[in-house]
Amino acid sequence: MAGEGDLRTSAKESEDDLPILNAENLQSNIKSVYYSRTFLSIIGGVVAGIWGFTGLTGFVFYFLVMAVASLGLAAKAKFSVNKYFDSWNRILIDGVFGGLMSFVLSWAFAYDIVHIF
Amino acid sequence: MRFGFMVGILGGFLLAHAGYATIQYRGMLKIVEEEFSCPPMNVVIGLLLGLALCIWAALASPAKFKSIHPDSEENRVVSLPANLDFMIFNHRGKVFPSNAEFKLKK
Repeated sequence: MAGEGDLRTSAKESEDDLPILNAENLQSNIKSVYYSRTFLSIIGGVVAGIWGFTGLTGFVFYFLVMAVASLGLAAKAKFSVNKYFDSWNRILIDGVFGGLMSFVLSWAFAYDIVHIF
Repeated sequence: MRFGFMVGILGGFLLAHAGYATIQYRGMLKIVEEEFSCPPMNVVIGLLLGLALCIWAALASPAKFKSIHPDSEENRVVSLPANLDFMIFNHRGKVFPSNAEFKLKK
């Protein structure tokens, strides 16, 4: 069809570098990654609290859980990240430091319930 | 997605059970007057299993990833026939004899 063909050629011939993306789907994917990471941060905190980690061991455990989560997310995206996200950072790095706060909160909460009270 | 929720709830129950078992273990240690160093082996296995189930649920239950390329197969706009502008109602009005000399009543 003439309309579709025009859109595609103008996308290739445009001067700027930004590719045309379906922004609504990209936002849905980013939200999905955020939900996964937040839930896993809380669960990781509960496990660290029950296990009795104190100090640096707990943070090491958190980054371990986040690394496993990154691997799982990459597998969910079938390792072809360009099809679902605009860069690798979205599934590898986004949300790791935001989840750290949730992790520490649930870690302290679980540790208190199991080991102190 | 429902199955993912069920697996997540199961993982949560496993973690709660492991927590309860650890509380009882600590109570037992207080009686024997020993130091707490590490939960018993079955509790550790329960924790790891619960963690694995929750990881699976966290990856499987949020929305599936959708492709962001505008020209991929699943992003096609296929709702065109539902638009009223494009509906054609075939009717037999064209077989009525139309007389161009008929004039409107004044």
